[in-house]
Amino acid sequence: MRLSGWNVSNLGLTYAPVLLYAGVIGTFGILSPSFLSTENFLNIFVQCSAVAIVAIGMTFVLLTAGIDLSVGSIMFLCSAIAGTSVLHGEFPVALALLFMVIGGLFCGAVNGYFVARKGMAPFIVTLSMLFVARGSGLWITQTRSMNLPDTFRQLATTRLLGIPVPVLVLAVVVITAHLILTRTVFGRQLYAVGNNPHAAERAGIDVPNTLMAVYIISGACASIGGMITLAQLAAVSPNLGQGRELDVIAAAVLGGASLFGGRGTAFGAVLGAVLVETVRNGMNVIDADPYVYPVIIGLIIFAAVLLDSTRHRQLAKLRRRKIRTETS
Amino acid sequence: MLRNWHLPFVVVLGFGLLSGCSEPSEQLRVGVAFETLQTEYWVASIEAIEAELRRRNIEMIEAVADNDANRQLDQIHILIARGVDGIIVSPKDSMTVIPMIKAANRADIPIVIYNRPPADNDGKSVTVVADNYKIARATVEYMAECAVKTGRKYKAMILIGDLGDINAIGRRDGFDDALRPYSDTIEVVARVPTEWSQDKALSGVTNALQVNPDINFIFASTDFLFPPLISALRTAGKYKKIGEEGHVLLGGFDGDPLAYSMLVEGYLDADGVQDVYFDSAASVDAVVRMHQNQIVESIIRDPGFVIHQDNLEEKAGQMWGAQIARSKDLTRLQL
Repeated sequence: MRLSGWNVSNLGLTYAPVLLYAGVIGTFGILSPSFLSTENFLNIFVQCSAVAIVAIGMTFVLLTAGIDLSVGSIMFLCSAIAGTSVLHGEFPVALALLFMVIGGLFCGAVNGYFVARKGMAPFIVTLSMLFVARGSGLWITQTRSMNLPDTFRQLATTRLLGIPVPVLVLAVVVITAHLILTRTVFGRQLYAVGNNPHAAERAGIDVPNTLMAVYIISGACASIGGMITLAQLAAVSPNLGQGRELDVIAAAVLGGASLFGGRGTAFGAVLGAVLVETVRNGMNVIDADPYVYPVIIGLIIFAAVLLDSTRHRQLAKLRRRKIRTETS
Repeated sequence: MLRNWHLPFVVVLGFGLLSGCSEPSEQLRVGVAFETLQTEYWVASIEAIEAELRRRNIEMIEAVADNDANRQLDQIHILIARGVDGIIVSPKDSMTVIPMIKAANRADIPIVIYNRPPADNDGKSVTVVADNYKIARATVEYMAECAVKTGRKYKAMILIGDLGDINAIGRRDGFDDALRPYSDTIEVVARVPTEWSQDKALSGVTNALQVNPDINFIFASTDFLFPPLISALRTAGKYKKIGEEGHVLLGGFDGDPLAYSMLVEGYLDADGVQDVYFDSAASVDAVVRMHQNQIVESIIRDPGFVIHQDNLEEKAGQMWGAQIARSKDLTRLQL
């Protein structure tokens, strides 16, 4: 079977993000063969697992045309709660981790309540939560760094079947999120709400409850991301998670999520996070000039988003039904 | 009639009354505006400034900008509007502080820049700053001497701070210049930009150790990055005490409580210390003298010092991190 020009361009556009990723891997692989080792790829997944998990939660929010700016601060607040519980409250580590999840769910529920029930703009609500959560975290820690017992670090370094725990947690989260988005009524409702909330409401979808749920999911993902960061660092620093919301939004958008809602996937968010971490890792591996890092990362993000928007425009054009009008 | 022993007493009392008359009747008020309090160093600094002001019976008005240069400029305007007698500001960077200097100059209020020197400008200010280049260079030179003594070859890594921060650049340059004469023994194989972030430091160090597992000489541009560094070294099985097989020569900068603990435990070879007590006393002294229209030199440099295994006992008393660690019984932090 021969591929027509239409098929080739269609195929190329459909898999543009994957091709970009392959290009990045190929370039760094040529510059440093050690970049291509299995251990290094596992390392990339470990390093980006926290951002990827939070980006999955962010994708749920972006699907509804919302945004959650508070994720980085929630990561910090939850970590501060866990650190204080263990160091000062002498709680067991497992209970401290449970406190983290409860903290994330609570912050997400507060965000969701004001967005869904009070009709406030997500940007304003989550921006307020950003300040409240970070301020509360600083208040709890008194701006002091906390160095945690080695038990935390063991959570991040333990391997099951040769796979590091953070990567396994990421796998569980992404598969669960994928199933929710593609196999459940709730998942389909999310896309409907994101595409047109008024039409979704008229179709009988409980829009406020749907919105409430996505912010709770985002809060929970932020707490799990905080858990992984905490385990990797075995320390709570006062700037933990600071600016993370931008990394997370970038990862979700790189993975194909639209800031205007209705578009995005869980695996896309992971791909976005992996892409950014791969570039960062590659530059570490080739010992690039530190001044070049932000330039290259910025260019790749720009290229990926440009490619994605071009792809969607072209695919929409290619798939448009050609209707011939009758001429008299 | 005055007896003989009364005379000195009366003279001293008279001087006291006269000098009291020459002092302004109202208590001085100094605004202290910090860009952030997000590391131990900044907290220790503001606490030391507060203690020095209290010792001199000066009221302190505190403002923290949470990493926002625009907010800090607003805070400076508010301090000026409140009629403070002087300002001590720890700015975000060397450029954003210039409008603050200009604003203080227009209001004729003395301004002291703490820890980060401003870029060239025609404003009037006094800067109190550690000699980042010199302290980093001395720290790395000590580490290099330790390396030479072993007779082995070394592969080095530096954790660089925010490239927009002049202090980070001074420390990086100090590292580079210190190692230049030792190029036959020590090869720099990794330069990890961290933006002063623990997350980025962890991934950068892990990646560098992945490609260069034989790295055995590491300088962190701030002690704040020790937790991720320790975590990465532990994961790689390379966090060993001095004298143990596979020990990685470690150096840092700041003099925080964790660094002190690592020195005591024998994991850290050397640490460049910024003398927080000198910096805070010099800042308060400068702002008071400027208020009294005295001439103050435009840059007051904190010479700092290097603390290492050989002078630990002697220098620990000057290390601010040691004081905090001892006062809070943190001499054995979780490492």
